[in-house]
Amino acid sequence: MTNEKYYDIVVIGAGAIGTSVAYHLAKEGYKTALLERGDIASGSSSHCDAVAVICDKLPGLDTKMGQASIDYFGKLAKEFDYDFEYTPKGCLYVCETEPEFAAASKYCEAQQKDGYKMRMIDSRELSEMEPHISKDLYGALYTPPESSVAVNPYRLCFAFTYEAEKFGLEKYTYCKITKINLNDKTNAVESLETNYGTIHTKRIVNCAGAWAPFVGKLTGLSIPIEPRKGTNLVSEQTPRLCNNKIMEYGYMMSKFDSINFKRKVSKLVEDQNIAFNLEYTNSNNLLVGGNRLFRGYDIRTEIETVKAICERAMRFFPELANIKCIRTYSGVRPFVKDHLPIVSDVDSIPGYYIAAGHEGDGICLSPITGKFMAEIVAGRPTDFDISKLDFKRFA
Amino acid sequence: MIHKDVLVIGAGPSGLSAAIEAGKAGADTLLVDLNLKAGGQLFKQIHKFFGSSAHHSGTRGYEIGSLLLKQARDAGVEIWLQSTVIGIFPGGKVGIERGLDNGEKDLVTLKAKTIIIATGASENAIRFKGWTTPGVMGAGAAQTMVNVNHVRPGENIVMIGSGNVGLIVSYQLMQAGCNVVALLEAAPKVGGYSVHAAKIRRAGVPIYTSRTIIEALAGEDGSVCGCVTAAVDDHFQPVPGTEETLKCDVITLATGMKPTMDLVKLAGCALKFHGPLGGYVPIHDERLETSVKGVFVAGDSTGVEEANTALDEGKIAGISAAEELGYISHEDADAMRSEIWSRLDSLRLGPFGERRMKEKKAMMEEYSETVKVPAAFQ
Repeated sequence: MTNEKYYDIVVIGAGAIGTSVAYHLAKEGYKTALLERGDIASGSSSHCDAVAVICDKLPGLDTKMGQASIDYFGKLAKEFDYDFEYTPKGCLYVCETEPEFAAASKYCEAQQKDGYKMRMIDSRELSEMEPHISKDLYGALYTPPESSVAVNPYRLCFAFTYEAEKFGLEKYTYCKITKINLNDKTNAVESLETNYGTIHTKRIVNCAGAWAPFVGKLTGLSIPIEPRKGTNLVSEQTPRLCNNKIMEYGYMMSKFDSINFKRKVSKLVEDQNIAFNLEYTNSNNLLVGGNRLFRGYDIRTEIETVKAICERAMRFFPELANIKCIRTYSGVRPFVKDHLPIVSDVDSIPGYYIAAGHEGDGICLSPITGKFMAEIVAGRPTDFDISKLDFKRFA
Repeated sequence: MIHKDVLVIGAGPSGLSAAIEAGKAGADTLLVDLNLKAGGQLFKQIHKFFGSSAHHSGTRGYEIGSLLLKQARDAGVEIWLQSTVIGIFPGGKVGIERGLDNGEKDLVTLKAKTIIIATGASENAIRFKGWTTPGVMGAGAAQTMVNVNHVRPGENIVMIGSGNVGLIVSYQLMQAGCNVVALLEAAPKVGGYSVHAAKIRRAGVPIYTSRTIIEALAGEDGSVCGCVTAAVDDHFQPVPGTEETLKCDVITLATGMKPTMDLVKLAGCALKFHGPLGGYVPIHDERLETSVKGVFVAGDSTGVEEANTALDEGKIAGISAAEELGYISHEDADAMRSEIWSRLDSLRLGPFGERRMKEKKAMMEEYSETVKVPAAFQ
């Protein structure tokens, strides 16, 4: 009797990315294990919002992956027995001022040129679509449901796991990895030491998101992902205050520091790096966000953040002043400086793969990332060129 | 940002007595409570208290409440009512939704050198078919309705649970003019003091032991019109074929309480599960300091007990907070505390008290073994 275990491939991390990767590998026929230090969806995937859109992505590869992933969500929703609350839902990027509208129009034009369906709407159309929104807004960038959906991130992780188990996935929750053994000569992956015993495998995929650097360290890899905190407020159940997912165009600024655009906001909102966004959930609670701050792995909500989100949210939806906040939560997003995830193998360690660093796009990009990773492992070309996501870029 | 020496959260018996001690010692003390009135559960306790004169024996609960409130004011304690602590945030910042005189609320941020968490306990619910039907409520809610708001929750009441809360509230509901149809107790014996049970039985109310509720029945208007009960076996499982239906319009649940841990958790205090104390409790030392420096606990939020023990624990926490800030010398604080501790020991006699005392002692031992020195508030 031995407790040693053998797998074709071991996936580390059971968030949206890890469970999707595990699903795609198991489906491909690999004997797959999923290792998680907590429970399924206990990290960023349960401390985020629920939306998958293309309009928060830069034109080019980012958007292309986003759209492919959104299309894929629709397919998975039909195939899966496990309901992850897939809901096509339009998205409005609201512009406070004329210059914001002009910048958004430029962005819209670039996306239209690539064939994506989005369009600019004026303030009149905006208030027809969203009767409760402030009347003094300049307009908005509208993305139709084809390119904007909502899913339940928790359920998504459980759905991938459930469906993967049909293909033989074995999961190890509350698993602590103490060591990853590499071959003395070839440096290739050989096994992992865990509280479940030794797990033998020739391949591992590091899907640990914001915690990927810790897994990297076990084999001396330096993975440049940093935890970036985001906070959301949850409201009491309310009648529908909005019909679409609502975001402010300034959100782009908090996401991409390169877009240099100054809003007229209070010092509190500025300091807290607030980007208003609003969506309703299936249970008719509102999720109100959000912001991005570097605070290490501390996911306690800060009172200044709560105040600043409220202040900003009431600017766009004054009626929020009469709705109670019942809970707040924060989580870390796996931030990479160039805002692109890492999805590739690792040259220095044969059999080592990374799928991590999606920052706020992990839920949205999880289906396509899993698919790509299965293709990379199988040695097949991916649907389109993702060499920009290679870990090599940090060499 | 507002600064205070001592912030006491919860103005029940433990919070009030903590604030009085801290205020008397000279600490700039703020007492915050979300209710209209200070006094917590005391204001619905119309019965006379047991215990010694130090514990106001023979005085009715609500009178003790008024007395403490006056003492707190005399001690210079600032009191904010209808004010809710919405969280304890990084940096030791406390968010308070402060109730203003004009009925509006204002969100204020406050930093206190020490915090005493005295948030009490909340009632446990048990789940059965129809448990969310209007008319099913906690026994504490029914007690508030009759004793504080002077409103009968209904006409015909079935009480689930025969602990002291179930027994006393049943009697008070009868005093208010309700008909208590029956008490159900899943255990083979009545849980509370026999003196209370005898009062109920004398009034002709049956107490069914080894029997529980399995379903709340709803009438045409959607609210409770009766309940189905069943005998339970040794493992508390309903025995098929023993079902009986009782007619009632209210079902009250007196099925235990658990310490309210929300703020303790937010403050980062180490917790430990102690069944006899009601569930997870913050571990603390003899000074009632938690694993976080400057954060103290008192009353039911350290383990569900009685108002008497809450009063004394509150005093200890108030003294310790004042000592922490240098308003009371260590020698004086030690002497004051040891007097209260010996009084608490004598209070914690009897079958219920001794179990809790043992559990509290075990918890304080755990503290000295695992925490040793409380960590700085971050």
